[in-house]
Amino acid sequence: MGRKKKKQLKPWCWYCNRDFDDEKILIQHQKAKHFKCHICHKKLYTGPGLAIHCMQVHKETIDGVPNAIPGRTDIELEIYGMEGIPEKDMEERRRVLEQKNQDTQKRKLNQDDSDEEDDDDEPGSSFQQPVARLPQAGFVPPMTQPGFLPVRGAPGIPPAGYSGIPPMIPGVPPMMPGLPHGQDCPKTSLWLLLTWIGFVFLPPVIHPSVSHRPGITHMPQVPSVNVLTRPAVPAVVTPSAQPDITKPLFPSAGQSQQTVSGSPHTPPSTTSDTPKPTFPAYTQSSAAVASPNADTSTVSKPPSAVTSKAATLTTTSATSKLIHPDEDLSLEELRAQLPRYQCSIRQNTPTAPSVAPAAVLPPQQLPVGNPIPGQFSGPLRGLPGYVPGQMLPFVQAHAGIPPGYQGGPSRPPMGVRPPVMSPGGRY
Amino acid sequence: MSLFGSTSSFGTGGSGVFGTTTTDSHNPMKDVEVTSPPDDSISCLAFSPPTMPGNFLIAGSWANDVRCWEVQDNGQTVPKAQQMHTGPVLDACWSDDGSKVFTASCDKTAKMWDLNSNQAMQIAQHDGPIKAIHWIKAPNYSCIMTGSWDKTLKFWDTRSPTPMMSLQMPERCYCADVVYPMAVVATAERGLIVYQLENQPSEFRRIDSPLKHQHRCVAIFKDKQNKPTGFALGSIEGRVAIHYINPQNPAKDNFTFKCHRSNGTNTTTPQDIYAVNAIAFHPVHGTLATVGSDGRFSFWDKDARTKLKTSEQLDQPITACCFNNNGNIFAYASSYDWSKGHEYYNPQKKNYIFLRNAAEELKPRNKK
Repeated sequence: MGRKKKKQLKPWCWYCNRDFDDEKILIQHQKAKHFKCHICHKKLYTGPGLAIHCMQVHKETIDGVPNAIPGRTDIELEIYGMEGIPEKDMEERRRVLEQKNQDTQKRKLNQDDSDEEDDDDEPGSSFQQPVARLPQAGFVPPMTQPGFLPVRGAPGIPPAGYSGIPPMIPGVPPMMPGLPHGQDCPKTSLWLLLTWIGFVFLPPVIHPSVSHRPGITHMPQVPSVNVLTRPAVPAVVTPSAQPDITKPLFPSAGQSQQTVSGSPHTPPSTTSDTPKPTFPAYTQSSAAVASPNADTSTVSKPPSAVTSKAATLTTTSATSKLIHPDEDLSLEELRAQLPRYQCSIRQNTPTAPSVAPAAVLPPQQLPVGNPIPGQFSGPLRGLPGYVPGQMLPFVQAHAGIPPGYQGGPSRPPMGVRPPVMSPGGRY
Repeated sequence: MSLFGSTSSFGTGGSGVFGTTTTDSHNPMKDVEVTSPPDDSISCLAFSPPTMPGNFLIAGSWANDVRCWEVQDNGQTVPKAQQMHTGPVLDACWSDDGSKVFTASCDKTAKMWDLNSNQAMQIAQHDGPIKAIHWIKAPNYSCIMTGSWDKTLKFWDTRSPTPMMSLQMPERCYCADVVYPMAVVATAERGLIVYQLENQPSEFRRIDSPLKHQHRCVAIFKDKQNKPTGFALGSIEGRVAIHYINPQNPAKDNFTFKCHRSNGTNTTTPQDIYAVNAIAFHPVHGTLATVGSDGRFSFWDKDARTKLKTSEQLDQPITACCFNNNGNIFAYASSYDWSKGHEYYNPQKKNYIFLRNAAEELKPRNKK
């Protein structure tokens, strides 16, 4: 991999836009990620091949290439490695990489030593330290070995490496003020890079032409390694570090009434009350979260699965399985449906619901709520030898009171008023 | 001597008993066990506020009870008292002065438990189980906020049977958090609403969910000036979103991260994805803890965007967690959360609450 030009482009996967060092690796990736049958896990060679296999062997149709980014899911396109990629997509890719290259050239001029090519001594050594410093991140070392360093691997990488940060992260200044140039930069940036990449955080910035490393199989959405070097990472860290002293969290109450009534869904208008910049319509989140589905695809069609009433979730996919019951209810709602968790007032027949205070209970118990004089922190050990258990006709803590409880803290033992339960209801 | 009179055959009582069995998977982290734990799954944990001396822990459970322990400095836990509802307790919180505990239950009521007199009285009523309860202390008012599956958010002066205010929500309340002057409620169907509490509570903004799966837990975090500035939202899909209310650059400041999943690097077997059951922020460091159905807890630094620690796997899911007021103690509850449905529920299985020293492990990662 010492060639400067590989057909002018490093091998990249048309389906998910990831970069690879070698076409062989690219093909392995495609076979494992895009051309793998979700039923029998057989690896096919092409998209159409997968479709045919599913049809013939499992009698199932598939409508898109698995783990592909939106717009690139066409199952009919016969793409194998770099072959078969439509020309316009190739051009688009070239253009984007060009742009990244240009920015990299600019940056290279500013450096004292261009060490990205093959000089791997210093960055290499600095590389080890950060890894040692992060024992917690168990998977950092294996991940960072392959091709992370700009110095290893093809020289074509580094220029693409310090790629267009402006296009990647809108609003981030291209250069971190005060960041020293020269030798220090690669180390610092690499270490920061490692810390950020090395953990399962997915920044919401997704750019289709971001180049990816093969090692990061489970974090494809992380912007290119290279993007996060030098300016980007410190710049990323900075905004969150800057305290927002003057800006109120909410506009004052009077104003807030207006903003709320006006437009709950249009951020620009609500932020007009705040002095600081408006923030763009928050669509990155949906874009950012859509792509994780391409990789971990737990729910095939999230919006439709979640919005229908009494729906079920799709909890299983080829790559992952959601450990959750299928119904689209919360775990507590599901559990509360059980008869044993229905309000036990109905089981309380042995001891009459309205009882005189302190009189109530099965012999061996003290009522929990009895006004026991003394400090709360005092010796309350003698308290409730209370028999727990859902099914027991446990005693109500206090005397029952007639329904329609009247407030007033001064009132002596107040109990639960017999709750109005809907028998057999959902709750 | 189990002071709560537990009939569980596994109840060993005692104080601070570490795992005594040979297979220690119920407490692989060797943390302090709270004595006399509840007899059914623990739904919520809360430590007393700093206004009270000492540490008191309350836990609500599916056994319809809410229990209170004193946690002494030597790690001993002393059961203090208990209150009952007529349905499972789903949430509990303290008043700001530490004299009252508020509990919310499936029996559609919320109660105020005066710890000094050990009396509890009903203070709220909904048309459905109350899933979230929080105490609001504003300069010009104090009240209780209750979120229910009846799709309403109600605010109660504890002295009156009718609510001070009732706000309609788009869907059932699944979780909520309050740090004055901000409140966040996450509902079914991935609804997310922020309320501002100054003068009187009002809806501030409805947010498009940053997550694509059912919301499960939410926790507000504060900025360096100790003002609430955003929240962490957890879903059933092993993912947490960090979301700022007024970020300078939303695309960069807001992010999500994956957690509570199995088979991190192994791509041959399908990955198991677990729900995030609770999130808690360290009161001093601002780092956060997440607990999940996989039976692990993890500590994270959201500013450095790094993971600080992940625990060993417990043999049961972890259903609740919280920090004490000075951040020295991290409490987490090990009990079944229904993530595998009814079939995996074993009423005989003992539930645990563990206490861990949190002073060191949650220090933020030093950033270069």
